[in-house]
Amino acid sequence: MTLLELEDVTASYGPVQVLDGVSLSVPENGAVGILGANGAGKTTTLRAISATVRTGGRIVFDGEDIRGRRPDKVAALGIAHVPEGRGTFGDLTVRENLRVGAYLRKDRKGIESDIEYCLDLFPNLQDRIRSNASALSGGEQQMLAVGRAIMSKPRLLLLDEASLGLAPTTAKAVYDAIRRLRIESGIAMVVVEQNANLAFTVVDSATVLETGRSVLTGTSAELRGMDEIRRAYLGG
Amino acid sequence: MATFIQLIVDGLSTGSVYAAIALALVLVHQATGLINFAQGGMAVLAAYSAWWLLSRGVPLVLAISASVLLSFAFGAVVERWLMRRFERGDPDTAVVVTIGLLTLITGVCGWLFTYNNQQFPSLFSLDAVTFLGVSVSQRSIGTTVVIVVVMLLLQALFAGTKLGLALRAVAINPQSAAFSGLPVERLLMVGWGLAAALGAIAGALVAPQLTLTPGMLDNALVYALAAVILGGLSSPIGVVVAAWMIGVLENLAAVYVPLIGYDLKVAVPFILIFVVLVVRPQGLFGRKTVVRV
Amino acid sequence: MAGARMTTAALSDRQRSWLRRAGPLLLVVVLVVVPLVFPESVNETIARIGVFAVAVLGLNVVMGYAGQVSLGQIFFLGLGAYVTAYGVSNDWNIVVVFVLACLIPAFVGLLVALAAARLGGLAIAMVTVALPIVGVPLAKRLSEFTGGSQGLSARFGDAPEWSGLYDDQWRLYLVLAIGGAVFLLTRNLVRGKYGRVLGIVKKNENVASSVGISPYRYKVLAFTLASLIGGVSGFLYMLVIQYTSPETMSFGHSIQLLAAMVIGGAASIVGSVLGGAYYVLVPQLTNLVDPSLTALLQGAVLLVVLFVLPGGLASLARPLGRGRRSRARHDPAPLITPSATTKSGSAADTPETERQGHP
Repeated sequence: MTLLELEDVTASYGPVQVLDGVSLSVPENGAVGILGANGAGKTTTLRAISATVRTGGRIVFDGEDIRGRRPDKVAALGIAHVPEGRGTFGDLTVRENLRVGAYLRKDRKGIESDIEYCLDLFPNLQDRIRSNASALSGGEQQMLAVGRAIMSKPRLLLLDEASLGLAPTTAKAVYDAIRRLRIESGIAMVVVEQNANLAFTVVDSATVLETGRSVLTGTSAELRGMDEIRRAYLGG
Repeated sequence: MATFIQLIVDGLSTGSVYAAIALALVLVHQATGLINFAQGGMAVLAAYSAWWLLSRGVPLVLAISASVLLSFAFGAVVERWLMRRFERGDPDTAVVVTIGLLTLITGVCGWLFTYNNQQFPSLFSLDAVTFLGVSVSQRSIGTTVVIVVVMLLLQALFAGTKLGLALRAVAINPQSAAFSGLPVERLLMVGWGLAAALGAIAGALVAPQLTLTPGMLDNALVYALAAVILGGLSSPIGVVVAAWMIGVLENLAAVYVPLIGYDLKVAVPFILIFVVLVVRPQGLFGRKTVVRV
Repeated sequence: MAGARMTTAALSDRQRSWLRRAGPLLLVVVLVVVPLVFPESVNETIARIGVFAVAVLGLNVVMGYAGQVSLGQIFFLGLGAYVTAYGVSNDWNIVVVFVLACLIPAFVGLLVALAAARLGGLAIAMVTVALPIVGVPLAKRLSEFTGGSQGLSARFGDAPEWSGLYDDQWRLYLVLAIGGAVFLLTRNLVRGKYGRVLGIVKKNENVASSVGISPYRYKVLAFTLASLIGGVSGFLYMLVIQYTSPETMSFGHSIQLLAAMVIGGAASIVGSVLGGAYYVLVPQLTNLVDPSLTALLQGAVLLVVLFVLPGGLASLARPLGRGRRSRARHDPAPLITPSATTKSGSAADTPETERQGHP
């Protein structure tokens, strides 16, 4: 059963066309990677889904075309976006950040237990719970950003470059937590990642973008095997 | 000594009015990153609406409450239909827009209610209470108490409630807020509405003393801006303390410093700013705003 | 008319560049002729427009070009006017008076800027708003110099015998000459290196810092220059209006000046002239409609302009200068001509008051 379907999606910033026909299919509980070089349109694809860029084509979530809705309405459908650059609320504490993530929920007890779950998922945040987000390290901010996103109990998580600017061990810790999250919660995911090997630790399949177009789609195993593709698009 | 204490208490009372306008400025700045030069003008409009209701026989408390509610709606409308277009753009243009709004509101008040001074009844009696040999008007005490209560309510709103948290989140990062499902646009309207309502309270408190004119709060706006500069744009408590300090110091200077006197006391906050700038050359907005919402 | 425009459209590049060079010459000729042909009341209005065009130009330097909102420009006009009035009534040499009317406001502006520019961002707007608010009671207080609430009158700039001109004509020439010089100097300044630097500071202070430009220093410089130009406009103000009082520098006037700048067009030389015209003419018009509506209309006009014409009136005039060819083909007949003729016509009909001077 397909949860999210992108059909021939185009997107532009003003006169500049960035996406020129991206197609993507995410099954319920599935995880799909978007790979490609810088400027290929990976981030824009996520922004197209979360309605923060002007788009064409069809974006169907849970049987409904959601293209053209307001970002907060898209979020309310159960799509949580962890943007590039993390987008945490710097002047709010870690706990407050998590509470903002749960804005749409009304079950106080559930929110509290999910905050506990986040802290269990990302133990680094435990000691920093009262710190301002701006005082956290890059890795902790990334963890907080993911935590904030899952506080809304989404059905689909959009992850943008979660390893960006992180030390390899930290990046691995983040992806370990994301894999555990996937296994425990079954949240479907779209993972944009520069570092393909990290992405493959989470996703089942991936699509490769080149100048705003899907040029190749395959399972993780298939793509891993293609040496030339790896060299061309995946950076090693 | 008695005069001295009286001056301080009266200073706290006028300072409280500046504080209310300054808090409204902070609220708007927190929500939308703008300085609303029409904040005082909007408060005057609120005071006129209360005055008009009074003239129709509505009781004072009811009239003021109604004007506060009307102001909330007006603030929200101004954000949605006037300021929204300019919020993400050049802040200087947005400032000019608020100045245009100030001119327009002053013009509307003058046109509807003339530029003549109108009497506005006080919520509190002018009778003095004598305490330890110092007599202080109930109005001064009442004004200060009301503002302190409002400040505490605001503090509680921001620190303890879901709405307050959402308002702060939107101010810090509207995009992430939208990603979390926060209705960003509605929250911005609420921010402006709350600020306008706060201004309305200040207008009702100060109108009996200054008598109602379209330009009644022009000076108060200047004081409030000074308080915001001194106290820090992100710090309600800092702003209120600065406003009180300004109110007290200008009162004392007016009486004890002949060079300043009553006519030039409006210069006091700016002398203060000048001195602070010399002492703290990096400027007051430099990192190190300690007090948080 | 249509035929004339067709010819313009057919002009070659060389002819057009010749036109561009002839343009300024034509302007000078017009400015020389204008004072001679119009009646006194029109000359006075033009002179007033000149005064406030200079004031708006000063505001444009700090706000339009350097991007720092200043709500205190009128204070420097007032200061310049007071210095002029004081000097003239003490029979100082008029050149000395002029120099002082430039330098004293510039110095005060420098002091204010040194403090205010430290704050950065919107804080400059928040501090400069104090200038008119403090300036008015200060002017009242320093009554030995300012004549208190009564204000000061001073009359100078009467037409000399040899000129054979009326006083109003002579004064208008003075305004045009001094104002013209200020405009020319400022224009050269903002089109040169200095203007480009200000543009960078306005756009992004961090970028400016990263290429070794100190935003602080340039903001102070722009503010000081604006204050100096404000002082010049104050001198011209005394020349034309011959009276100043604390009211001259009131908060309301400060806001009107800012509105005039935005409506005329920020960061535009032409816009400054249009702003001066707006400042002088529109209150006259709204007063005709209903004096109690003046503030309301001013606010409404300002907001409407910000919404529909963010570049101000000057952005309407711009295509005229740049894309002359396309304009000539598509645009309807110029809107200005008919209204201008009716205006001078009606003004000529009004009975002339007795002119003073040496005919």
